[in-house]
This record gives sequence, C-alpha cells and structure tokens, in this order.
Amino acid sequence: MTRLKLYSAIFVVLMALSTTQALVERTGMVDFGDPDAYWMAFGIILTLSFVKATFVATYYMHLRWEPRSVTYLFLGGLFVALALTTAAAYSIL
Amino acid sequence: MSHGEADGHDAGGHDFPPMSSVKRWFVTTNHKDIGILYTITALFFLVLGGVLALLMRVQLWGPGESILSAGAYNQAVSAHGLLMVFWFISPFAFGFANYVVPLQIGADDLAFPRLNAMSYWAYLFSGLLFIASFFQGGTFDGGWTMYAPLNVPTYMPNVGGTTVVLALIMFVAAVTMGSVNFLTTMYRMRAEGLRMRDLPMFSMSILLTVWMMLFAFAALLAALLILGAQHLIGVNYFNTDGGTLLWTHLFWFFGHPEVYIVFFPALGIMAECFQTFTGHRIVGRKWFVLAMVLVALQSFVVWMHHMFLTGINLEIKTLFMVTTIGISLPFDLMVFSLIYTMIKGRIRFTTPFLFSLGALILFIIGGITGVFLGAVVLDYEFRGTYWVVAHFHYVMVGGATGLFAGVYYWFPKMTGRMYDEFLGKLHFGLYFVGFNLLYFPMFGAWETPRRVFDYALPLGTWHKVATIGGFLLGASFLVMFYNLFKSVAVGEEVGDNPWEYGTTAEWAVSSPPPLENFEGKPSYASGKLSFRDEPELTADGSGDGGPGGNPSPDGGLASSASESSSDRRSDGGVRAESATAGGEALVTGPEAVAPSATGAAAAHETEEPHADHASIWPFVIGLAGFLTFLGVSGVQNGGAYYWLTGSGGVLSAVGFVGLAREPFHVPEPTVAEQWPFEGVENMKLGMWTFLASDVVLFGGFIGSYLFLRVANGWTHWHHAFVPEAHVTFPGLVNTYLLLASSFAVVLGLVAAHRNSRRGVVAALSVTWLLGVGFLINKGLEWQHLFHISTEAFPNGWNVGTNVASSTFYLTTGLHGAHVVVGLVMLMYMIPRAMNGAYLGDDETSIEYFGLYWHFVDIVWLFLFPLFYIL
Repeated sequence: MTRLKLYSAIFVVLMALSTTQALVERTGMVDFGDPDAYWMAFGIILTLSFVKATFVATYYMHLRWEPRSVTYLFLGGLFVALALTTAAAYSIL
Repeated sequence: MSHGEADGHDAGGHDFPPMSSVKRWFVTTNHKDIGILYTITALFFLVLGGVLALLMRVQLWGPGESILSAGAYNQAVSAHGLLMVFWFISPFAFGFANYVVPLQIGADDLAFPRLNAMSYWAYLFSGLLFIASFFQGGTFDGGWTMYAPLNVPTYMPNVGGTTVVLALIMFVAAVTMGSVNFLTTMYRMRAEGLRMRDLPMFSMSILLTVWMMLFAFAALLAALLILGAQHLIGVNYFNTDGGTLLWTHLFWFFGHPEVYIVFFPALGIMAECFQTFTGHRIVGRKWFVLAMVLVALQSFVVWMHHMFLTGINLEIKTLFMVTTIGISLPFDLMVFSLIYTMIKGRIRFTTPFLFSLGALILFIIGGITGVFLGAVVLDYEFRGTYWVVAHFHYVMVGGATGLFAGVYYWFPKMTGRMYDEFLGKLHFGLYFVGFNLLYFPMFGAWETPRRVFDYALPLGTWHKVATIGGFLLGASFLVMFYNLFKSVAVGEEVGDNPWEYGTTAEWAVSSPPPLENFEGKPSYASGKLSFRDEPELTADGSGDGGPGGNPSPDGGLASSASESSSDRRSDGGVRAESATAGGEALVTGPEAVAPSATGAAAAHETEEPHADHASIWPFVIGLAGFLTFLGVSGVQNGGAYYWLTGSGGVLSAVGFVGLAREPFHVPEPTVAEQWPFEGVENMKLGMWTFLASDVVLFGGFIGSYLFLRVANGWTHWHHAFVPEAHVTFPGLVNTYLLLASSFAVVLGLVAAHRNSRRGVVAALSVTWLLGVGFLINKGLEWQHLFHISTEAFPNGWNVGTNVASSTFYLTTGLHGAHVVVGLVMLMYMIPRAMNGAYLGDDETSIEYFGLYWHFVDIVWLFLFPLFYIL
C-alpha cells in the first residue's frame, strides 16, 4: 500500500511538472528575440524533463531497488548519446 | 514478453535431430551449432568479398585497364568494403565467440538461445539481401563509408542502393540481439568462482567487443534508419545544410569503435595462442586487460580524426588528435606484453601461433602507419589516398589474420580432428607473403587516389606487385579450404586437449563437446577448474556470489574430471521432453518457461525439465525479415514489391506469434557467478541492456535534430522552417496520456502482486487505450500540419517540406513506432491476463513490459520540450 501511495504521488508530480513546462512557455519566456529569457527557459524546461525522467526511471522502472550496476548500464547509454550530441554540435560552433 | 501454453500437442521443432540431418541446422538454437553456422557463413562472405577484391586488382593491374566500367568499379569497391567489414570479419569472430565463450565461462549455452538463432538468421538473410541488391539495377556504389550526399537518392537512385541500407539495418538488428545475449550470458552465467577479472583472454575480448557493439551499432542504426527514410519516404537530412557532416559524425561515431570491434576478438585469440604455444601466462595480464578496457572506452572519443579535412573547428581537431595518438599507448602495452610473453616462454611454432605472430607483426605496421593519420597536418596529405587503404588493411586484415589463428586453434575442438600441420604452415606462408605483397606496395603507391579505377602511370609497378600479392593471398585460402575439408574427413582424431598448455575450460571437455557442454557443473571455487554434481551444489546453497576463493581460470591445467568426457556423444540428437509436460507452462520471457504454480505436473517438482535446443521460428522470422525488407526496398515501384512486403509482414506475424506461443525451456544456472548483476534475472538484464542500446538509438535521432538545428541556426530554424500551427498543446496532451499510461502499468504490477486478475486486466486495458489515444492525437496533429496552407507553407508542412519537418516527423515517428510495438505486446498480454496469467510470482512479464513502456515514456519527456516548446 505504501508503494502504491508513492507511485500515485509521483504520478501527480509528473503531471504537475509537465504542466509547468507548458506554463513556462505561456509566460513568454520562450522568446527567440530575447536570448537571455530563451536560454533561461531552455534550462528550466529541460531540467524539468530530466527530473521527470529520473522519477520514472527510479521508481516506475524500479532502479531504486535494483543493484546500482543496472543504473550505471542505463547511464552508460545516456552518456554515450550525450557525448555524441555535444561533441558533434560543438564541432561546428 | 511472451507466453506459451503447452496445449497438448508436441511443440513442433522440439525434436532435436542429429548433426547429419539438414533439419538440425534450420532449427538448432545450440550455441556450438550457431557458432559453426556463423563461421561457415562468414567464410562464404569472405570468398564473395575476396572475388570482388580480385576484380578490382585486375582492373588496377595497369592504369586505364578496363575489365570494369567506372560504375562497376564503384560498386565492386563499395560492396567489397561493406561485405568484408560487416558480413565477414565480425561474424567470423562471433562464430568462435558463439562456440567458445559459453565453454570458457562454464555455461551450458547462451542466456537466450532462440535469440541467438534469430541473430544468426538475421545475419544470414541480411547478407542475402545484400546479394539481391546486385540484381536491382546495381548495388550501393558510394563507398563503404557511405558518405553523404552520395548516399542520398538523388545520387543513388537504384533500388539496390536502398536494399543495401535495409540489409545493413537488418544486420545491425542481428548485432544488437547478439550483444544483448552475450552481455547477459557473461554477466549472469559464469561458473562458480569465475570473477569478471579472471575471464579467459578470448572471453574478455568478446565482453569488451560486445560492449562496444551495443553502443556503436546503435549510432549506426540511427544513421541507417534516417538514410533509409530518406530513400523511402523522402525526408531531408543528409542533403541539407550540415547534413553531410551529420552523416560523417554518426558514421564514424560507430566506425571507429568498429575498428576495435573487429580487432579485439583477434587480440583475444592472439593472447590465447601466445599463452598456449609459449606455455607461459600472458605477461602483465592485469595490465593487458586494463589496456583493453581503456581502448574500449577511448574508442568512443577518437572518431573525429576521420573528419580532419572537414569544416569542424580547429579546437576539436586538436582534441581528437590528442585522443587518437593517446589510444596507441595502451596498444603499445599490449604489444610489449605479447612480445615479452614470447621471450619468457618456450615457443612452439604451430600454425595457430604463426598466424597469431603474423597478426601481431601486421598490426604493429598498421598501428604505426595509423599514427601518421592521427596527426592533423599529415592527414591533410594522406587523406583519401592509398596510404589510408594500406594502413587500414594492415589493421583490419591484420585482425583477420588473428582470426585465422582461431580457425586452426579451435578446429580440433570443433571437429574432433586435427588439421594437417604442413598445409597449415603452407597456408600461413602463402598468406603472409601474399598479404605483404598486396598491401605494402600501397604505401609506395600512396599517391593513388582511393576508390578510383585509374591512376597515374608512374605508380604502375607498385600496383602490379599488389595485384600479384592479391592473387597469392587468394590462393592461400584454397590451401586452407582443402586442408579443412580434408581434415574434417580424415584428420587425426584428437582427445579433449590436443595442445599441451591449453588451459581454458573448453579444453576440459571432449572434442567436440557434449550438447550441453559439461556433465557436472564447472566451478572455480577451489581456485582451479573442477566439476561438481548438482546435489553437491544444491547442498551448498544459492548462486549469488559464490565463495570467491582464488580462481585461476586462465591458468593452471584443466581438471582431470575431463578425462572421461571424450566418451560422450557430442552432437545431441535428443528429444526434448519438457515442452509437452503436463500443465500450463507460463513463460516469463521469450526464452524462459517455468511451471506455473497452479498447473505444473508433479514431475516438475522433483526434476528440472530438460533444456530445449530446437525452434524453427528464428529461421521463419529471418526469412520474413528478408522478404519484408526486399519488398520495402522497391515499394515505391509497386507490383511484386507490394507482394513481397505483404507476404513478409504476414510471415513475420506468424513467426513472432509462433515464437511467443512456443514453450521453450532454458534453465538459469542454480549456481553461478553473477557480479555485478546478482538478483537481476536474465530477462530483466537483457531488457535493460537492450534499453541502454535504445537510448543511443534515440540519442542518435535527437542528436541529429540538435546538430542540424545548430548547423542551420538555432533561432533561424524556428522562424524559417516551423509553421505557427505547430503548437504546444497536442504535445502536452500526449505527455499526459503517456504519463497516465505509465502509471496504469504500475497499477497493473501492483494488481498482479495482489493476485487481482480484474485489476491486471483493467490496468493493461487502460494502458492500451491511453496508448491508442496517444496515436490518435498524434494522427490528428499530423493531419492538421499536413494540410495547413499559409504563405510560408502553401502546400502544408509535410515529411519532406524542410529539414525541421523531417526531423520532427521522423523522430516522433520512431517514438510512435515504439508505442505501436508496445500496443502489440499489450494485445498479446491482455487476453492472457483474462485467463489468469501474470498473477503472483508471475508478475515479471508485466514488469519487463513496464520497463519498455516507461522507457518509451521517458523518451517522450524529452521529445515534448524539444519539438513542441523550444
């Protein structure tokens, strides 16, 4: 029962954070004419995505209760993907 | 995610025929059989790629020679490269890996035998697909690196070009299945006491290889799927601003690790042979292994040295020059370790040793000449010349030389007979001389432009020598084939261990080994290999961890327990009984069947059902894949291609349903060394490993979008390419739908835990409905965007409208395809749940499905902001 409450609370948080992302857009921060505001919004919105993904992976996918090595395996894939993306994008800046 | 029910009739394909039966080779899932199939198939592709190479060498006998037209030469050079790199070298190594690794680590088979068979059939049929491309107006002719924009439909309109892309996609699917299987096996099924650090050198090399394969091939898959979409549905990627660089990044992010993917198994074989034929443990073994680990990691941070002549910035070129030259350092350590092992030991110049030594010499030359290319300034001179051709053949074919050492080293184990030593040495002599006559003159003729059918007159002498060398090298294989054919028939019979100092576990069983490898359970708990019987192990307790001790699996002679093993029958030929045992067999995954709590026969309580070794479905699925891809390659032309696609699709459905419903028992070892994945069942680890690969696949897609957006100007992209009608709301709704569906799966797992059938059915049904809702919402959104009519987009915003529309539809489309796959799984699970499946301890199926579904959810959590808000 405790676990069910936890899962339910996480669901509420996930929905709320998603709504928050859309609300950030509604505030007008995602303004291509104002780089400061845009990149601030960019940071906030993607941070919220990472927070949500962490919740899903940690609790819904049970990483919290698996050996830590499973987390490292998953993070390994993420690291590889981020390395490719950032290095490739940097190469043409 | 499969379930099967033993419904009373004998499950077709579970009779396991002897090796003399043709049927055996279509249904086998045994790792040794699959290993033999891989080896023979790879040799076939060696011959095919070799013939293409000889055609090229004839063309290059003199400048202006013309047995091949320019176009035919382009096809020959491209097909030769692709076939040799993809369909020969790595699969050849994985023939040995399949055969030897389970033996070396003390496992009965791979973790997922049917997946292993499926991997083989996907490999074979992908190769046949490649061959078919020659007959579709010409095969791919853009070089093995498939550089953009040559690879796009404008410059490669032949259906055959598309077919090669699809063949490569199928090949990558085979590789990914193999990677997941080997990683799960090697982490979960090692003999008691066998620590990861103590893996035999060949197994260690394969472990690192499959790690690299898991991630590197996922990046290639992203590139290939995009390229395939460009050919088939007209997306704009590699023909846009930054598109050519994007291809180069994606390809070489795969391509450089691929060099080590090709070379590492050879390195492992070389290390084994150096140990066995010098009678001395590899000097500095720990450092050798660490150096290999370092290379495997570094291999992912050197790819841009293939791009020194492109427009990437100087800072990154400098950085990658440092990492590239740096990667030679651990290799130096390995080379000196091998040399010092020879000095410390007493060498016996057998054929496998000669090939190993030859591989070392060739690799040293290949390595040194590669350092030149790692320097930015020198690369300006050498790029696109025969220096590169010579260098990488010294590395890649040098690696293949190590693999031929493996042929002779394990031939007695695989066949039970010894090869002819004289012919083996003759093969080596011809091979080594032919090799150097072929490739070394290319350094002299380095000014020859690569991939071109003609060259300047003064270079003629070098090329004539190279052509002579090429034919000598080719002829050496006639000696090898004759030797192997003859020796299989009349070679001297060998015992368990024909090599005096062969110390790894495969030499402790008969030649060839019994169907399930070991009579007792191999154990290193005492510090040396021994075999224990099951009751003894049961009395000792569980398999998590094991007692540790001081194992020396790659050192010390094999146990005397092996002496009696040669009496055993080795080719199986058993009739599996478990499949028809009474009661309902509840499957927890594609390869696992466990007796249910409610219906298992009493016999199960006292006796573990026998492992199954036969299934026809992997072959059927491979064939279906072939037909489907062949049909898709020309589907724009209609006609027969429609029929091929349709029949392939139907056969795929039949194959997967057959596979899912087939009871197939694979016992997990009761006692095994499983660090660092103790307590994570094989299926779960397999799923997580697959998902890690899928992260890189999506990473490749998302990274491509970000790269192209940077290349086109981040802000300009939004203003110039994206219509006002593309708004946040549909994405937000879909985010809600997917999050709710994930929550529903979690509720299903809770219901299963509580033995609530209605709860499970309700939760899975809600998940399905929410998933369908997601797709409907997406469909409505797409329809709207397709049909907008504005000043900027008078003809709608379609897949091929511009680079932004292409990245949007393709990336979210790939995600949508994942949703569809999940829905299909649910359509299989929901009726089963209605019949009472997945309750109590059998909840794992829902858990594994949940892992997939939640991952798809996570991907959307990033697609939503990237494509709808930012």
